[in-house]
Amino acid sequence: MSHDPRVATATSGPSDHPQELINQAHLATLGTLVAGVAHELNTPLGAIHSNHDVIERALRKLQDILADEVVTPDELQEVRKIVRAMDGVLTTNGIAVERMLKIVDGLGTFGRPDRAEVDRVDLREGLEGTLTVLAHELVGIRLVRELENVPRVECYPNRMNQVFMNLIHNAVQAMDGDGALTVRTRVEDGGATVRIEIEDTGRGIAPHLIPRIFEPGFTTKGGRVGMGLGLAITRQIVDHHGGDISVESAVGKGSVFRIRLPVRLPRPEAKEGGSGETG
Amino acid sequence: MSDNSSPTVIIVDDEEMVVGAIQSFLELETSFDVLPFTSPRAALETLETRTTHVVLADFMMPEMDGVSFLTRAREIRPAATRILLTGYADKQNAIRAINEAGLYHYLEKPWDNEALKLIIRNAAERARLFEELDRRVGELERANEELTGFRERLIQAFL
Repeated sequence: MSHDPRVATATSGPSDHPQELINQAHLATLGTLVAGVAHELNTPLGAIHSNHDVIERALRKLQDILADEVVTPDELQEVRKIVRAMDGVLTTNGIAVERMLKIVDGLGTFGRPDRAEVDRVDLREGLEGTLTVLAHELVGIRLVRELENVPRVECYPNRMNQVFMNLIHNAVQAMDGDGALTVRTRVEDGGATVRIEIEDTGRGIAPHLIPRIFEPGFTTKGGRVGMGLGLAITRQIVDHHGGDISVESAVGKGSVFRIRLPVRLPRPEAKEGGSGETG
Repeated sequence: MSDNSSPTVIIVDDEEMVVGAIQSFLELETSFDVLPFTSPRAALETLETRTTHVVLADFMMPEMDGVSFLTRAREIRPAATRILLTGYADKQNAIRAINEAGLYHYLEKPWDNEALKLIIRNAAERARLFEELDRRVGELERANEELTGFRERLIQAFL
């Protein structure tokens, strides 16, 4: 199947070693993911760690108070104080555990091996999961969700999440901690196509670079391992799903990456026909 | 120091669980009046109206970063001691804050409760000493004014 002519930016041909590229990019994504999750877990873990210490101290205080079997009025005051502190501990631990469950849930939609199989999924869940594991990168960024109801899309969920992570990570990097990130889903072609847009208000891409950004190895990020593969792989994954990816960008204003995916995955026979063949 | 007149401590972090954990610990272990905030702007409003001894703020906050917040807090309550709570890679910002916000101390996350208590106690003591100094200077100024008045009246009595 040939590339969609509307995708003006996807100018380079497929790599000679697509699987190798996918594996390398997958490792790079995994690195971002692990760093993100570790960072995200630190806050709730820090709170629970502190609360554990508070509970230990409270218990020791209560044991001291009860040691002589008599509770004086002063000690009663102390008990009231302990109860107040424990109330706070309970509330905070509840929030911390909720947060950790959310992170693990985000990971679940992101990288579970069983999601390596074709499935019909609501892509908004993948977008939300990705936003959760990248939350630490979004500090200072205004997040706008324009997530319209969209039909389930037949796809490889893991691969699509890798696409979302690459695009969201790039968008955040382009903004240097200040700007707005818009994540958008729309229905097109009377429900046959789902459009996903990741828009940033970052530095933008110079017009002469736009035709090159989907080339394997192309990077403007000065040697960050694997990053140069991100957009090449993103395009390759979208291609494999029978979709297309394009970008609109203005220097100093920002960029919009737009993906259009058919709700039905192309049949494997058609895909294996190769890019140069007419079948 | 004695805890009998309860120094006021303001804690600001956009993460409710961080504020909550520190608040529970300080409530259990000290007699400080702890005022928790997840919004730096709301904390600044309170600083305008309430005598505060210690201000502890996180660095990475979406509304306003910790250094800007503490710099503003310094303008409103110069006598309050300022402490920055920093993440893992924010040391450079803490160093910047020492000059910009007149930082007394910075604490790295995840914090150690015992160290936190010690730093906040010392910070509160420092704020009290400032208050005391301010009060004494005020007394001296008033005594000086009285003496000046007395001297003028004395001179006039003899003229």
